[in-house]
Amino acid sequence: MKNWFRLHLLALTRTIGSLFRHPLGSLLNLLVIGITTALPLALWTLIMSVSQISDQVSVEPELSVFLRHSATAEDVKGLQATLKADARWLKVEFIPKANALAALQANLGASDLTAGLAENPLPDAFVLQAKENDPAGLEALKKELSSIVIIEEVQLDSDWAERLARITDLGRAIFEVLASLLALALVLITGNAIRMQILTRRDEIEVAKLIGATDSFIRRPFMHAALVQGLLGGGVAVLIVWGLVAYVNPTVIELASAYGQSVSLLAPDALTIVVVCLASAVLCLIGASLAVSRYLYQFR
Amino acid sequence: MIQFQQVSKSYPGGFDAIKNLSFEVPDGELVFLAGHSGAGKSTLLKLMAGIEKPSSGAVLLNGQNLARMSRASLPFVRRHIGLIFQDHKILYDRNVFDNVRLPLDIIGFDHMEGRRRVLAALDKVGLAGKEKLNPVSLSGGEQQRLCIARAVVHRPSILLADEPTANLDSDYAHDILELFKSFHQVGVTILISAHDESLMMDYGRRILRLKHGQFCA
Repeated sequence: MKNWFRLHLLALTRTIGSLFRHPLGSLLNLLVIGITTALPLALWTLIMSVSQISDQVSVEPELSVFLRHSATAEDVKGLQATLKADARWLKVEFIPKANALAALQANLGASDLTAGLAENPLPDAFVLQAKENDPAGLEALKKELSSIVIIEEVQLDSDWAERLARITDLGRAIFEVLASLLALALVLITGNAIRMQILTRRDEIEVAKLIGATDSFIRRPFMHAALVQGLLGGGVAVLIVWGLVAYVNPTVIELASAYGQSVSLLAPDALTIVVVCLASAVLCLIGASLAVSRYLYQFR
Repeated sequence: MIQFQQVSKSYPGGFDAIKNLSFEVPDGELVFLAGHSGAGKSTLLKLMAGIEKPSSGAVLLNGQNLARMSRASLPFVRRHIGLIFQDHKILYDRNVFDNVRLPLDIIGFDHMEGRRRVLAALDKVGLAGKEKLNPVSLSGGEQQRLCIARAVVHRPSILLADEPTANLDSDYAHDILELFKSFHQVGVTILISAHDESLMMDYGRRILRLKHGQFCA
Protein backbone atom coordinates (compact mmCIF):
# COMPACT_ATOMS: atom_id res chain seq x y z
CA MET A 1 0.00 0.00 0.00
CA LYS A 2 2.80 2.37 0.99
CA ASN A 3 4.69 1.37 -2.11
CA TRP A 4 1.63 1.85 -4.31
CA PHE A 5 1.24 5.34 -2.91
CA ARG A 6 4.93 6.07 -3.44
CA LEU A 7 4.76 4.93 -7.06
CA HIS A 8 1.79 7.21 -7.71
CA LEU A 9 3.50 10.12 -6.03
CA LEU A 10 6.62 9.48 -8.09
CA ALA A 11 4.61 9.36 -11.32
CA LEU A 12 2.72 12.50 -10.36
CA THR A 13 5.85 14.53 -9.65
CA ARG A 14 7.30 13.33 -12.97
CA THR A 15 4.10 14.38 -14.74
CA ILE A 16 4.18 17.86 -13.27
CA GLY A 17 7.89 18.01 -14.04
CA SER A 18 7.28 17.12 -17.68
CA LEU A 19 4.60 19.85 -17.89
CA PHE A 20 7.29 22.36 -17.04
CA ARG A 21 9.85 20.73 -19.31
CA HIS A 22 7.60 21.37 -22.32
CA PRO A 23 5.96 24.67 -21.33
CA LEU A 24 4.67 25.63 -24.80
CA GLY A 25 3.19 22.23 -25.60
CA SER A 26 1.61 22.00 -22.16
CA LEU A 27 0.17 25.48 -22.46
CA LEU A 28 -1.36 24.72 -25.87
CA ASN A 29 -2.84 21.49 -24.52
CA LEU A 30 -4.33 23.29 -21.53
CA LEU A 31 -5.77 25.99 -23.82
CA VAL A 32 -7.43 23.40 -26.07
CA ILE A 33 -8.97 21.65 -23.07
CA GLY A 34 -9.84 24.98 -21.46
CA ILE A 35 -11.57 26.45 -24.52
CA THR A 36 -13.49 23.24 -25.18
CA THR A 37 -14.72 23.23 -21.59
CA ALA A 38 -15.32 26.99 -21.52
CA LEU A 39 -17.94 26.90 -24.31
CA PRO A 40 -20.59 24.89 -22.42
CA LEU A 41 -19.61 26.59 -19.17
CA ALA A 42 -20.23 30.02 -20.74
CA LEU A 43 -23.64 28.89 -22.01
CA TRP A 44 -24.44 27.46 -18.60
CA THR A 45 -23.49 30.77 -16.96
CA LEU A 46 -25.82 32.61 -19.35
CA ILE A 47 -28.70 30.22 -18.65
CA MET A 48 -28.22 30.47 -14.89
CA SER A 49 -28.18 34.28 -15.08
CA VAL A 50 -31.34 34.43 -17.20
CA SER A 51 -33.25 31.88 -15.15
CA GLN A 52 -32.35 33.91 -12.09
CA ILE A 53 -34.35 36.81 -13.58
CA SER A 54 -37.41 34.67 -14.28
CA ASP A 55 -37.17 33.16 -10.79
CA GLN A 56 -37.15 36.62 -9.22
CA VAL A 57 -40.10 37.84 -11.24
CA SER A 58 -42.41 34.89 -10.86
CA VAL A 59 -42.25 34.82 -7.08
CA GLU A 60 -45.42 36.88 -6.63
CA PRO A 61 -47.32 36.98 -9.89
CA GLU A 62 -50.03 39.60 -10.14
CA LEU A 63 -53.15 39.76 -12.28
CA SER A 64 -53.95 43.05 -13.98
CA VAL A 65 -57.68 43.36 -14.63
CA PHE A 66 -58.75 46.08 -17.10
CA LEU A 67 -62.41 47.14 -17.09
CA ARG A 68 -64.55 48.14 -20.05
CA HIS A 69 -65.06 51.88 -20.61
CA SER A 70 -68.78 51.22 -20.44
CA ALA A 71 -68.53 50.09 -16.82
CA THR A 72 -70.30 52.48 -14.44
CA ALA A 73 -69.08 53.55 -11.01
CA GLU A 74 -71.66 51.24 -9.41
CA ASP A 75 -70.40 48.28 -11.45
CA VAL A 76 -66.85 49.01 -10.30
CA LYS A 77 -67.92 49.30 -6.68
CA GLY A 78 -69.87 46.06 -6.90
CA LEU A 79 -66.90 44.22 -8.43
CA GLN A 80 -64.53 45.64 -5.81
CA ALA A 81 -66.83 44.39 -3.04
CA THR A 82 -67.09 40.93 -4.61
CA LEU A 83 -63.31 40.63 -5.01
CA LYS A 84 -62.61 41.82 -1.48
CA ALA A 85 -65.08 39.27 -0.13
CA ASP A 86 -63.40 36.49 -2.07
CA ALA A 87 -60.95 34.65 0.23
CA ARG A 88 -58.79 33.51 -2.68
CA TRP A 89 -57.30 36.99 -3.12
CA LEU A 90 -54.50 38.18 -0.91
CA LYS A 91 -54.50 41.73 -2.19
CA VAL A 92 -57.05 43.69 -4.17
CA GLU A 93 -55.95 47.12 -5.35
CA PHE A 94 -58.13 49.44 -7.41
CA ILE A 95 -56.43 51.85 -9.78
CA PRO A 96 -58.84 54.49 -11.12
CA LYS A 97 -58.18 55.64 -14.69
CA ALA A 98 -57.26 59.14 -13.50
CA ASN A 99 -54.47 57.73 -11.33
CA ALA A 100 -53.25 55.57 -14.18
CA LEU A 101 -53.05 58.63 -16.46
CA ALA A 102 -51.19 60.61 -13.82
CA ALA A 103 -48.72 57.77 -13.40
CA LEU A 104 -48.22 57.55 -17.15
CA GLN A 105 -47.59 61.29 -17.37
CA ALA A 106 -45.13 61.10 -14.51
CA ASN A 107 -43.34 58.23 -16.23
CA LEU A 108 -43.10 60.03 -19.56
CA GLY A 109 -42.02 63.21 -17.81
CA ALA A 110 -44.19 65.44 -20.03
CA SER A 111 -47.87 66.26 -20.30
CA ASP A 112 -47.72 67.03 -24.04
CA LEU A 113 -48.70 63.54 -25.07
CA THR A 114 -51.98 63.49 -23.19
CA ALA A 115 -52.78 67.19 -23.27
CA GLY A 116 -54.43 66.94 -26.66
CA LEU A 117 -56.69 64.04 -25.76
CA ALA A 118 -60.35 64.80 -25.27
CA GLU A 119 -60.82 62.17 -22.65
CA ASN A 120 -58.72 59.73 -20.65
CA PRO A 121 -58.10 56.70 -22.92
CA LEU A 122 -57.02 54.48 -20.03
CA PRO A 123 -59.43 52.07 -18.37
CA ASP A 124 -60.07 51.54 -14.68
CA ALA A 125 -58.05 48.61 -13.42
CA PHE A 126 -57.58 46.22 -10.53
CA VAL A 127 -54.27 44.69 -9.52
CA LEU A 128 -54.89 41.37 -7.80
CA GLN A 129 -52.59 39.01 -6.01
CA ALA A 130 -53.74 35.47 -5.39
CA LYS A 131 -53.05 33.41 -2.27
CA GLU A 132 -52.03 30.35 -4.29
CA ASN A 133 -49.39 30.90 -6.92
CA ASP A 134 -49.43 27.67 -8.90
CA PRO A 135 -49.61 28.40 -12.65
CA ALA A 136 -52.70 26.19 -13.27
CA GLY A 137 -54.65 27.87 -10.44
CA LEU A 138 -53.74 31.34 -11.73
CA GLU A 139 -54.82 30.36 -15.21
CA ALA A 140 -58.20 29.20 -13.83
CA LEU A 141 -58.66 32.48 -11.93
CA LYS A 142 -57.80 34.42 -15.06
CA LYS A 143 -60.50 32.53 -17.00
CA GLU A 144 -63.04 33.08 -14.28
CA LEU A 145 -62.40 36.85 -14.24
CA SER A 146 -62.55 37.06 -18.03
CA SER A 147 -66.10 35.75 -17.95
CA ILE A 148 -67.31 38.79 -15.95
CA VAL A 149 -69.12 41.14 -18.36
CA ILE A 150 -67.55 44.45 -17.31
CA ILE A 151 -64.02 43.08 -17.53
CA GLU A 152 -62.34 43.76 -20.85
CA GLU A 153 -59.04 41.95 -20.36
CA VAL A 154 -57.09 40.06 -17.73
CA GLN A 155 -53.30 39.92 -17.90
CA LEU A 156 -51.26 37.50 -15.89
CA ASP A 157 -48.03 39.38 -15.10
CA SER A 158 -46.12 36.14 -14.89
CA ASP A 159 -46.83 35.48 -18.56
CA TRP A 160 -43.61 37.02 -19.78
CA ALA A 161 -41.68 35.32 -17.00
CA GLU A 162 -43.30 32.12 -18.20
CA ARG A 163 -42.04 32.82 -21.73
CA LEU A 164 -38.59 33.58 -20.36
CA ALA A 165 -38.65 30.26 -18.55
CA ARG A 166 -39.53 28.50 -21.83
CA ILE A 167 -36.59 30.26 -23.49
CA THR A 168 -34.24 29.16 -20.71
CA ASP A 169 -35.64 25.62 -21.13
CA LEU A 170 -34.64 25.83 -24.77
CA GLY A 171 -31.25 27.17 -23.66
CA ARG A 172 -30.88 24.19 -21.34
CA ALA A 173 -31.69 21.78 -24.15
CA ILE A 174 -29.10 23.45 -26.38
CA PHE A 175 -26.66 23.33 -23.46
CA GLU A 176 -27.22 19.59 -23.03
CA VAL A 177 -26.55 18.87 -26.70
CA LEU A 178 -23.53 21.21 -26.84
CA ALA A 179 -22.09 19.86 -23.59
CA SER A 180 -22.44 16.26 -24.78
CA LEU A 181 -20.76 17.02 -28.09
CA LEU A 182 -17.92 18.95 -26.49
CA ALA A 183 -17.50 16.22 -23.85
CA LEU A 184 -17.01 13.78 -26.70
CA ALA A 185 -14.62 16.25 -28.34
CA LEU A 186 -12.65 16.50 -25.09
CA VAL A 187 -12.31 12.71 -24.90
CA LEU A 188 -11.07 12.62 -28.49
CA ILE A 189 -8.71 15.58 -28.04
CA THR A 190 -7.09 14.13 -24.92
CA GLY A 191 -7.01 10.69 -26.49
CA ASN A 192 -5.08 12.15 -29.37
CA ALA A 193 -2.76 14.22 -27.17
CA ILE A 194 -1.96 11.17 -25.03
CA ARG A 195 -1.44 9.08 -28.16
CA MET A 196 1.22 11.60 -29.24
CA GLN A 197 2.85 11.39 -25.82
CA ILE A 198 2.82 7.59 -26.08
CA LEU A 199 4.54 7.78 -29.47
CA THR A 200 7.30 10.01 -28.13
CA ARG A 201 7.87 7.55 -25.26
CA ARG A 202 7.66 4.45 -27.40
CA ASP A 203 11.23 3.30 -26.65
CA GLU A 204 10.73 3.62 -22.94
CA ILE A 205 7.47 1.67 -23.08
CA GLU A 206 9.03 -1.06 -25.19
CA VAL A 207 12.01 -1.50 -22.86
CA ALA A 208 9.78 -1.37 -19.79
CA LYS A 209 7.48 -4.05 -21.25
CA LEU A 210 10.46 -6.25 -22.10
CA ILE A 211 11.86 -6.13 -18.59
CA GLY A 212 8.62 -6.96 -16.86
CA ALA A 213 6.43 -3.86 -16.60
CA THR A 214 2.73 -4.54 -16.12
CA ASP A 215 0.12 -2.74 -18.21
CA SER A 216 -0.81 -0.60 -15.23
CA PHE A 217 2.83 0.51 -14.86
CA ILE A 218 2.76 1.68 -18.49
CA ARG A 219 -0.67 3.24 -18.05
CA ARG A 220 0.07 5.10 -14.83
CA PRO A 221 2.10 8.11 -16.06
CA PHE A 222 -0.36 8.81 -18.90
CA MET A 223 -3.34 8.67 -16.57
CA HIS A 224 -1.55 11.06 -14.24
CA ALA A 225 -0.82 13.41 -17.13
CA ALA A 226 -4.48 13.29 -18.18
CA LEU A 227 -5.64 13.95 -14.62
CA VAL A 228 -3.36 16.95 -14.19
CA GLN A 229 -4.20 18.34 -17.63
CA GLY A 230 -7.92 17.82 -17.07
CA LEU A 231 -7.93 19.62 -13.73
CA LEU A 232 -5.79 22.49 -14.99
CA GLY A 233 -7.80 22.66 -18.24
CA GLY A 234 -10.98 23.00 -16.18
CA GLY A 235 -9.26 25.83 -14.29
CA VAL A 236 -8.41 27.51 -17.60
CA ALA A 237 -12.08 27.20 -18.65
CA VAL A 238 -13.19 28.90 -15.43
CA LEU A 239 -10.68 31.72 -16.02
CA ILE A 240 -11.93 32.16 -19.60
CA VAL A 241 -15.57 32.39 -18.46
CA TRP A 242 -14.63 34.76 -15.65
CA GLY A 243 -12.89 36.97 -18.16
CA LEU A 244 -15.89 36.74 -20.47
CA VAL A 245 -18.33 37.70 -17.70
CA ALA A 246 -16.14 40.63 -16.61
CA TYR A 247 -15.85 41.78 -20.23
CA VAL A 248 -19.55 41.51 -21.11
CA ASN A 249 -21.14 42.50 -17.80
CA PRO A 250 -20.91 46.34 -18.17
CA THR A 251 -22.80 46.05 -21.48
CA VAL A 252 -25.40 43.72 -19.97
CA ILE A 253 -25.96 46.00 -16.98
CA GLU A 254 -26.34 49.02 -19.30
CA LEU A 255 -28.78 47.15 -21.55
CA ALA A 256 -30.82 45.91 -18.60
CA SER A 257 -30.99 49.35 -17.00
CA ALA A 258 -32.44 50.68 -20.28
CA TYR A 259 -35.33 48.29 -19.59
CA GLY A 260 -35.50 49.37 -15.95
CA GLN A 261 -34.03 46.07 -14.72
CA SER A 262 -30.96 45.39 -12.67
CA VAL A 263 -29.48 42.29 -14.26
CA SER A 264 -25.94 41.03 -14.51
CA LEU A 265 -24.23 37.79 -15.55
CA LEU A 266 -23.19 35.62 -12.63
CA ALA A 267 -19.61 34.35 -12.51
CA PRO A 268 -19.34 30.57 -11.92
CA ASP A 269 -19.72 29.74 -8.22
CA ALA A 270 -17.48 27.41 -6.21
CA LEU A 271 -19.65 24.35 -6.81
CA THR A 272 -19.70 24.96 -10.56
CA ILE A 273 -15.91 25.37 -10.59
CA VAL A 274 -15.43 22.08 -8.76
CA VAL A 275 -17.88 20.27 -11.04
CA VAL A 276 -16.27 21.70 -14.19
CA CYS A 277 -12.73 20.75 -13.12
CA LEU A 278 -13.82 17.25 -12.09
CA ALA A 279 -15.84 16.71 -15.27
CA SER A 280 -12.93 17.86 -17.42
CA ALA A 281 -10.54 15.59 -15.47
CA VAL A 282 -12.84 12.58 -15.82
CA LEU A 283 -13.26 13.15 -19.57
CA CYS A 284 -9.50 13.51 -20.02
CA LEU A 285 -8.97 10.29 -18.04
CA ILE A 286 -11.44 8.47 -20.30
CA GLY A 287 -9.63 9.76 -23.40
CA ALA A 288 -6.22 8.78 -22.02
CA SER A 289 -7.46 5.37 -20.93
CA LEU A 290 -8.81 4.66 -24.42
CA ALA A 291 -5.57 5.79 -26.07
CA VAL A 292 -3.32 3.72 -23.78
CA SER A 293 -5.54 0.63 -23.99
CA ARG A 294 -5.53 0.83 -27.76
CA TYR A 295 -1.74 1.16 -27.83
CA LEU A 296 -1.18 -1.70 -25.37
CA TYR A 297 -3.53 -3.87 -27.41
CA GLN A 298 -1.55 -3.15 -30.58
CA PHE A 299 1.76 -3.63 -28.80
CA ARG A 300 0.94 -7.23 -27.87
CA MET B 1 15.34 -24.81 -15.48
CA ILE B 2 14.63 -23.85 -19.08
CA GLN B 3 13.04 -26.51 -21.30
CA PHE B 4 12.32 -26.43 -25.03
CA GLN B 5 9.95 -29.17 -26.19
CA GLN B 6 9.81 -29.58 -29.98
CA VAL B 7 9.69 -25.84 -30.44
CA SER B 8 9.22 -24.36 -33.91
CA LYS B 9 8.86 -20.73 -34.81
CA SER B 10 7.88 -19.48 -38.21
CA TYR B 11 7.29 -15.86 -39.10
CA PRO B 12 4.58 -14.59 -41.42
CA GLY B 13 5.71 -15.17 -44.99
CA GLY B 14 6.80 -18.73 -44.22
CA PHE B 15 10.30 -18.10 -42.83
CA ASP B 16 11.14 -20.84 -40.29
CA ALA B 17 13.47 -19.30 -37.69
CA ILE B 18 13.47 -22.29 -35.34
CA LYS B 19 12.74 -25.86 -36.43
CA ASN B 20 11.63 -28.48 -33.92
CA LEU B 21 14.18 -27.77 -31.16
CA SER B 22 14.28 -29.71 -27.89
CA PHE B 23 16.81 -29.08 -25.14
CA GLU B 24 17.18 -28.23 -21.46
CA VAL B 25 19.28 -25.78 -19.51
CA PRO B 26 19.45 -26.78 -15.83
CA ASP B 27 19.52 -24.12 -13.10
CA GLY B 28 22.89 -22.47 -12.68
CA GLU B 29 24.40 -23.53 -16.01
CA LEU B 30 26.30 -21.20 -18.31
CA VAL B 31 25.57 -22.07 -21.95
CA PHE B 32 26.84 -20.50 -25.14
CA LEU B 33 24.72 -20.21 -28.21
CA ALA B 34 26.70 -20.11 -31.44
CA GLY B 35 25.77 -19.61 -35.05
CA HIS B 36 25.89 -17.16 -37.93
CA SER B 37 23.59 -14.19 -38.22
CA GLY B 38 20.14 -15.42 -39.09
CA ALA B 39 20.74 -18.87 -37.59
CA GLY B 40 17.95 -18.25 -35.07
CA LYS B 41 19.92 -17.23 -31.96
CA SER B 42 17.90 -14.09 -31.25
CA THR B 43 14.63 -15.87 -31.90
CA LEU B 44 15.60 -18.60 -29.47
CA LEU B 45 16.38 -16.07 -26.73
CA LYS B 46 13.15 -14.18 -27.45
CA LEU B 47 11.19 -17.42 -27.10
CA MET B 48 12.85 -18.00 -23.72
CA ALA B 49 11.87 -14.54 -22.48
CA GLY B 50 8.31 -14.91 -23.75
CA ILE B 51 8.80 -12.01 -26.18
CA GLU B 52 7.91 -14.34 -29.06
CA LYS B 53 5.43 -17.19 -28.91
CA PRO B 54 6.33 -20.56 -30.46
CA SER B 55 4.36 -21.62 -33.53
CA SER B 56 4.33 -25.13 -32.11
CA GLY B 57 5.85 -26.92 -29.14
CA ALA B 58 6.31 -25.58 -25.61
CA VAL B 59 8.82 -23.36 -23.84
CA LEU B 60 8.89 -24.12 -20.10
CA LEU B 61 10.44 -21.87 -17.52
CA ASN B 62 10.68 -23.63 -14.15
CA GLY B 63 7.94 -25.96 -15.38
CA GLN B 64 5.60 -23.19 -16.50
CA ASN B 65 4.53 -23.09 -20.14
CA LEU B 66 5.09 -19.51 -21.31
CA ALA B 67 2.62 -19.81 -24.21
CA ARG B 68 -0.22 -20.79 -21.87
CA MET B 69 0.51 -17.98 -19.47
CA SER B 70 -1.99 -15.13 -19.17
CA ARG B 71 -1.05 -11.70 -20.45
CA ALA B 72 -1.25 -10.36 -16.90
CA SER B 73 1.22 -12.85 -15.39
CA LEU B 74 3.90 -12.67 -18.09
CA PRO B 75 5.46 -9.45 -16.67
CA PHE B 76 6.06 -11.23 -13.37
CA VAL B 77 7.88 -14.06 -15.15
CA ARG B 78 10.03 -11.52 -17.01
CA ARG B 79 11.18 -10.09 -13.69
CA HIS B 80 13.11 -13.31 -13.06
CA ILE B 81 14.96 -12.80 -16.33
CA GLY B 82 17.70 -10.31 -17.07
CA LEU B 83 17.77 -9.36 -20.74
CA ILE B 84 20.75 -7.96 -22.61
CA PHE B 85 19.63 -6.86 -26.04
CA GLN B 86 21.66 -6.92 -29.21
CA ASP B 87 20.63 -3.30 -29.88
CA HIS B 88 21.16 -2.31 -26.20
CA LYS B 89 17.77 -0.54 -25.95
CA ILE B 90 19.28 2.15 -23.76
CA LEU B 91 17.06 5.18 -23.07
CA TYR B 92 18.86 8.37 -24.04
CA ASP B 93 16.34 10.69 -22.38
CA ARG B 94 17.76 9.90 -18.91
CA ASN B 95 21.13 9.44 -17.26
CA VAL B 96 23.00 6.20 -16.61
CA PHE B 97 21.61 5.90 -13.08
CA ASP B 98 17.98 6.17 -14.19
CA ASN B 99 18.54 3.67 -16.99
CA VAL B 100 19.75 1.08 -14.52
CA ARG B 101 17.05 2.04 -12.06
CA LEU B 102 14.18 1.25 -14.47
CA PRO B 103 13.76 -2.46 -13.56
CA LEU B 104 13.63 -1.52 -9.87
CA ASP B 105 10.98 1.14 -10.54
CA ILE B 106 8.95 -1.47 -12.38
CA ILE B 107 9.19 -3.89 -9.46
CA GLY B 108 8.44 -1.04 -7.08
CA PHE B 109 11.65 -1.16 -5.10
CA ASP B 110 12.26 0.84 -1.95
CA HIS B 111 13.95 4.13 -2.83
CA MET B 112 17.12 3.97 -0.72
CA GLU B 113 17.66 0.24 -1.17
CA GLY B 114 17.15 0.75 -4.90
CA ARG B 115 19.80 3.43 -4.96
CA ARG B 116 22.29 1.10 -3.26
CA ARG B 117 21.47 -1.66 -5.75
CA VAL B 118 21.95 0.61 -8.76
CA LEU B 119 25.31 1.90 -7.52
CA ALA B 120 26.43 -1.66 -6.71
CA ALA B 121 25.45 -2.87 -10.20
CA LEU B 122 27.30 0.03 -11.85
CA ASP B 123 30.34 -0.68 -9.69
CA LYS B 124 30.21 -4.36 -10.65
CA VAL B 125 30.30 -3.61 -14.39
CA GLY B 126 32.98 -0.94 -13.98
CA LEU B 127 30.86 2.16 -14.49
CA ALA B 128 31.23 3.52 -10.95
CA GLY B 129 31.22 7.32 -10.95
CA LYS B 130 29.50 7.58 -14.33
CA GLU B 131 25.94 7.38 -13.01
CA LYS B 132 25.12 11.02 -13.76
CA LEU B 133 26.32 10.90 -17.38
CA ASN B 134 24.00 10.67 -20.34
CA PRO B 135 24.45 7.29 -22.07
CA VAL B 136 25.27 9.11 -25.34
CA SER B 137 28.64 10.08 -23.86
CA LEU B 138 29.55 6.44 -23.15
CA SER B 139 31.69 4.36 -25.51
CA GLY B 140 30.23 1.26 -27.21
CA GLY B 141 31.78 -1.05 -24.62
CA GLU B 142 30.53 1.13 -21.78
CA GLN B 143 27.02 1.12 -23.24
CA GLN B 144 27.21 -2.67 -23.29
CA ARG B 145 28.19 -2.62 -19.62
CA LEU B 146 25.32 -0.28 -18.84
CA CYS B 147 23.02 -2.77 -20.49
CA ILE B 148 24.43 -5.56 -18.32
CA ALA B 149 24.06 -3.47 -15.17
CA ARG B 150 20.40 -2.89 -16.02
CA ALA B 151 19.90 -6.61 -16.65
CA VAL B 152 21.34 -7.70 -13.29
CA VAL B 153 20.27 -4.88 -10.96
CA HIS B 154 17.13 -6.71 -9.84
CA ARG B 155 19.13 -9.94 -9.36
CA PRO B 156 17.35 -12.22 -11.82
CA SER B 157 17.85 -16.00 -11.70
CA ILE B 158 18.22 -16.18 -15.50
CA LEU B 159 20.37 -13.97 -17.69
CA LEU B 160 19.88 -13.94 -21.46
CA ALA B 161 22.51 -12.05 -23.43
CA ASP B 162 22.08 -11.57 -27.18
CA GLU B 163 25.46 -10.92 -28.83
CA PRO B 164 26.94 -9.04 -25.85
CA THR B 165 30.42 -9.13 -27.39
CA ALA B 166 29.48 -8.01 -30.89
CA ASN B 167 31.39 -4.93 -32.09
CA LEU B 168 33.91 -5.20 -29.22
CA ASP B 169 37.59 -5.92 -29.60
CA SER B 170 38.70 -9.27 -28.19
CA ASP B 171 40.21 -7.90 -24.94
CA TYR B 172 37.03 -6.01 -24.16
CA ALA B 173 34.95 -9.05 -25.16
CA HIS B 174 36.91 -11.21 -22.69
CA ASP B 175 36.27 -8.65 -19.93
CA ILE B 176 32.54 -8.87 -20.63
CA LEU B 177 32.60 -12.67 -20.62
CA GLU B 178 34.54 -12.67 -17.31
CA LEU B 179 31.76 -10.49 -15.95
CA PHE B 180 29.16 -13.09 -16.96
CA LYS B 181 31.34 -15.78 -15.41
CA SER B 182 31.22 -13.95 -12.09
CA PHE B 183 27.41 -13.87 -12.24
CA HIS B 184 27.44 -17.58 -13.05
CA GLN B 185 29.55 -18.20 -9.96
CA VAL B 186 26.77 -16.86 -7.74
CA GLY B 187 24.27 -19.29 -9.28
CA VAL B 188 22.66 -17.39 -12.15
CA THR B 189 21.57 -19.42 -15.18
CA ILE B 190 23.13 -17.74 -18.21
CA LEU B 191 22.71 -18.03 -21.97
CA ILE B 192 25.09 -16.02 -24.13
CA SER B 193 24.77 -15.89 -27.89
CA ALA B 194 27.63 -14.95 -30.20
CA HIS B 195 28.59 -15.49 -33.80
CA ASP B 196 32.29 -15.66 -32.91
CA GLU B 197 32.90 -19.15 -31.54
CA SER B 198 36.59 -18.66 -30.79
CA LEU B 199 35.75 -16.58 -27.72
CA MET B 200 33.66 -19.38 -26.22
CA MET B 201 36.28 -22.09 -26.64
CA ASP B 202 38.40 -20.78 -23.74
CA TYR B 203 35.61 -21.32 -21.22
CA GLY B 204 34.99 -25.05 -21.72
CA ARG B 205 31.23 -24.69 -21.43
CA ARG B 206 28.43 -26.33 -23.35
CA ILE B 207 27.97 -24.72 -26.74
CA LEU B 208 24.67 -25.00 -28.61
CA ARG B 209 25.39 -24.53 -32.30
CA LEU B 210 22.52 -23.28 -34.41
CA LYS B 211 22.29 -23.44 -38.20
CA HIS B 212 19.13 -22.57 -40.10
CA GLY B 213 17.06 -22.96 -36.94
CA GLN B 214 18.41 -26.40 -36.04
CA PHE B 215 21.24 -27.72 -33.89
CA CYS B 216 24.33 -28.91 -35.67
CA ALA B 217 27.46 -30.61 -34.40
